Amino acid sequence: MKILVIIPAFNEESNIEKLVEKVKLLDYDYLVINDCSTDNTPRLLDENKLNHLDLDNNIGLAGVTQIGFKYAVNHGYGGAIVIDGDGQHPPVYIKSLLDKVSEGYDYVVGSRFVDKSKPYTMRMIGSRILSFMIKLKTGVSVSDPTSGMRAMGGEVLKDFANNMNFIAEPDALCHVLKRKYKYTEVQVDMEERVGGVSYFVNPFRSIRFMFNVIISILLFQW
Amino acid sequence: MNYQTTLFLGTAITLVFIVLAVIRTKMNLKYAIVWILWGFVMLVLSSYPGIIDKLSYTIGIAIPANTVFLIFIFLLYVMCFYLFIKISTLTSEIKNLIYSVSVLKKKIEEYDEK
Repeated sequence: MKILVIIPAFNEESNIEKLVEKVKLLDYDYLVINDCSTDNTPRLLDENKLNHLDLDNNIGLAGVTQIGFKYAVNHGYGGAIVIDGDGQHPPVYIKSLLDKVSEGYDYVVGSRFVDKSKPYTMRMIGSRILSFMIKLKTGVSVSDPTSGMRAMGGEVLKDFANNMNFIAEPDALCHVLKRKYKYTEVQVDMEERVGGVSYFVNPFRSIRFMFNVIISILLFQW
Repeated sequence: MNYQTTLFLGTAITLVFIVLAVIRTKMNLKYAIVWILWGFVMLVLSSYPGIIDKLSYTIGIAIPANTVFLIFIFLLYVMCFYLFIKISTLTSEIKNLIYSVSVLKKKIEEYDEK
């Protein structure tokens, strides 16, 4: 089965090269998607001849991953895995996620909290609320609803490529669970981001994010 | 000038402005028709304000001005919603275009390197 490693990247000049080197060592096809970066990312991608797409407008993470899924489907891949371009998701875990996909699981999430317990920071309280909402809606317990590191088999891939109406990862996960796809989690450790600023530093954005995702989970994912 | 003449002139000038702007900007007819039709409706209403009085009486609104507000706010509300739907469709259409363009650019780059 051909697998594509999708790497969304927005202003990741400090991380992207090292990350792609590590992915190349694993011998999977990969695709970096440059979401109209304003720094040196596009030049680095061109100079190092990394396999990549340059988008003409900044369309955000959800749109970028969908473009990755579309590309995978149109180029005959039977599965895909998404890892962030900021180096948060160490490529060493790619194989353990993909092993689960070849075992027949449709959607595999790299979770930080399968074996380890969740701390009580603000962010993790948000994560707990989202887990609870998903449990409420689908009856399935998920340990890390916001994890962006996920691998999927052909069916979910096609589903996501053709109609993706999600705010972010948690409601996408809810959609997958509602459709009764086979779901599992794999323990991964994530790194703190090396460069750049997190989207969730701004409290208003975080609140808006939570609100939108919860509305999407409760009302739109059936 | 009595107030009815003022109203009539106001709506007539608005209608002429809309028609001229539609022609000058080559506005897509599908969208222009709504505005031109509505311009005519305003013209009729300002020529025969009695219509509003009758309508208010029929649906039980005491002050005819409120009927005018009701109609206009509802119309704006519906139009605004229609625009949201349009924006949403446009967003996904643009996403598809961005995808196609990026794949084509990639193909051209690969072709140039050979």
